[in-house]
Amino acid sequence: MSKSTSAARPTAGRGKKYKPVRPPFSVVHSSILSTTGLYKSYRKGKHEVPVLKGVDVEIAEGAFTTIVGQSGSGKSTLLHLLATLDAPDRGEIHYDQTRIDNLSAKRKEHIRNQEFGLIFQFYHLLPELTTLENVLIPRMVQDGLFRYLANRRRYAKDAKELLDMVGLGHRLTHKPSELSGGEMQRTAIARSLISNPKILLADEPTGNLDEENGAEVMKTLEELRKQKNLTIVMVTHDPELARASDHVIHLVGGKVQ
Amino acid sequence: MYKLLLSWRYLRTRFIALASIVSVTLGVATLIVVNSVMSGFVDQMKHRLHGVLSDIEMSAPLLSEIHHSEYTVEQIRELLGDDLEEVTCVVRTPALMAFQSPHGMPVQQQVMLIGIDDETFGKVTDFEPYLQHARKQTEFSFQLEHDGYKDEYGHSGWALRKHKAEQQKLIEEHHRQNMLRAQKEQSRWDNSQSQPVAQASWQEPVAANADDGPRKPNFVTLPTKIRPIEEILAEKEKNQSASPAPAPQFTGVDPHAHLRERVAVEDMFDSTKDQYTGIILGQAIAKRLAVDEDQNVSDVFLLRPGDDVQVMVTTVGRSPKPVSDMCTVVDFYNSNMHEYDSQFAFMPISELQKMRGMVNPMTGRGSVSTIQIKLKDGVDLNEAKLAMLGRFPVTEYFCDIKTWEDTQRPLLQAVGMELTILNILLFLIIAVAGFGILATFYMIVVEKTRDIGILKALGAPSGGVMSIFLGYGVSLGAVGTGAGIVLGLLFVRYINEIADMVQGFTGQEIFDPTIYYFSEIPTIVSPWMVAGVALGAIAIAVLASVLPSLRAARLHPVEALRYE
Repeated sequence: MSKSTSAARPTAGRGKKYKPVRPPFSVVHSSILSTTGLYKSYRKGKHEVPVLKGVDVEIAEGAFTTIVGQSGSGKSTLLHLLATLDAPDRGEIHYDQTRIDNLSAKRKEHIRNQEFGLIFQFYHLLPELTTLENVLIPRMVQDGLFRYLANRRRYAKDAKELLDMVGLGHRLTHKPSELSGGEMQRTAIARSLISNPKILLADEPTGNLDEENGAEVMKTLEELRKQKNLTIVMVTHDPELARASDHVIHLVGGKVQ
Repeated sequence: MYKLLLSWRYLRTRFIALASIVSVTLGVATLIVVNSVMSGFVDQMKHRLHGVLSDIEMSAPLLSEIHHSEYTVEQIRELLGDDLEEVTCVVRTPALMAFQSPHGMPVQQQVMLIGIDDETFGKVTDFEPYLQHARKQTEFSFQLEHDGYKDEYGHSGWALRKHKAEQQKLIEEHHRQNMLRAQKEQSRWDNSQSQPVAQASWQEPVAANADDGPRKPNFVTLPTKIRPIEEILAEKEKNQSASPAPAPQFTGVDPHAHLRERVAVEDMFDSTKDQYTGIILGQAIAKRLAVDEDQNVSDVFLLRPGDDVQVMVTTVGRSPKPVSDMCTVVDFYNSNMHEYDSQFAFMPISELQKMRGMVNPMTGRGSVSTIQIKLKDGVDLNEAKLAMLGRFPVTEYFCDIKTWEDTQRPLLQAVGMELTILNILLFLIIAVAGFGILATFYMIVVEKTRDIGILKALGAPSGGVMSIFLGYGVSLGAVGTGAGIVLGLLFVRYINEIADMVQGFTGQEIFDPTIYYFSEIPTIVSPWMVAGVALGAIAIAVLASVLPSLRAARLHPVEALRYE
């Protein structure tokens, strides 16, 4: 994405503007998400446990990037920081040439809702809602009551299309408890895509699935990426998946290797 | 939109929410029922208290009197003008009443004797509706009736008087026979004693013997109808002055025969045809409970309409003297207020004034002890009272001016206090339900921690998450309250049927009309009360859900997502 178009984007255009930080090395794609000197530590009782110790990463637009590392190497924390679910102790995160780690809660919520799609290892569907309603939740969060009701047909159409794409067009009214793990994860993928995000952030999406289902989920993700020109950042510990990705970020002990 | 959807889904899928709803429902229903019954009860009680007491009372101290009552009444009419509905004068005095119960037991009882003006008294107070004889309720009089008395009294009215007169005649006959026999015995004994000396005088007439007879029975003077017997005798004497009556001859049969001869039959007090001054007694004065061998409780009446009682009062003035007169019970008064029914006895004001010497011999006008006033509907009683206090200062008139509320203040205050405390206690029930909601919600928030994390990860603001649970609380409160209102109102509507049903099941009488003042449970549903209860209950439900909602809003998304 060129600089001029990104400046025209309303979400990135509001608020403080920072000069884009150009990485010292050049990559094929222009970077859409980057971090510089990211530090994060958690408190556990009296002890402070450092998790990230100065992480610099660049996520290329349109690429499929995987973050790999041992348990406790900080890969999930990094993903949470990228998704603005948590704030770093030090360092900066830039999305589309705008610093996002110090935005107001409202702006962060907007970015999470509109720009990012999130997928989790344990699917995290709402158990009281049907498949279709689960997919529609980001739209409900985005709009007020009346605006949502005015647009509900369009949203429902989008959601059905997405569910068709992930192969669940016939299970619209099922509750999550009536779905298999793979189906739940594919519902979660549909949910993450309902707002037409630019980036898909996935935290071990296949970690809880058997090989067959995992492969199917990966196949779905790959298809969607191509179809919608998505940027995917995926945390995984599966070297197979890492090998299939465009870029691999190795985290060892809270640092990029 | 997600807030509504999730609130609704949580409400539908959480069984525990039902428990909270039920507790709110029960609390609200209880409050409505208790408040309705209490206000119905208080209203009925006030109605009765008020009805018997008249709006405002101007009363002289006990045993003294208001002179110039007619002038005072005129002044009151002038002062209150259009606000005045009616005013009546009464004489009120403590009295001693003596009578003989049907079983022959002499009974003395203290009563509050009230002399009433039968023209106006019924217009000032609710007097006539409480009379037991149906005809007296519409055409009031102090005359004994022939029929129409309640069956529970047994013999009553003129029938009773006839019955008693027959009994009396039998007794007198029996007594006379006994006396004759005794006299015969006595004379035989006398003769046997004096036989050797006075054998020749055996043939002497009985009268000669009777003059120095053993003992003359000492009879009380005969009761008279209106005129003293001396007067009648004098009249007779005047009429028959030409032919002086023969000297009275004692026959040994009827000591009053010589009187009977000289008094015309129609002038004699005949208790089968004549009555004394009519008196109306509070029913509780005469009514007693009796238990037979089978443990059945029944009412026994010591007095019945038609019985005569002796009433003793004191005269007014510097040195009160006791005076007494006979009265005939003509009806009972039953307001179901035991305080009144066990105390009040009503008789015509003119008779009571005569008895107590309250009639001014110069003018022929009587003084009174109390002036009772009824105001038009909607007139402020206290304002009228203050106006009267200004017009009739206590330093001049020595009169107490009180509204009926002043008179019954202790009772009204006690009832008001009871109502307040009851409401506080019942609101505590709803507060308990509120804590139930708090605990339930806290559990639900903990249970839903991950969902909250998901919503936050998907961009839901903290306020939105909070309003899910607040909305949940409001809907719990609203549903519970709505159900409570419906339940409460239905209960109030069918409360007597429910009481009967419970009585049928358990055999225990729930609402005993003899204990309470009313035959049915009285209820009044005030829309303000229902609205207040509803708002209070919803407010408590919302307050109880604030804390869990705040916790939900403050959850950190990452920690919430990690929560297992």
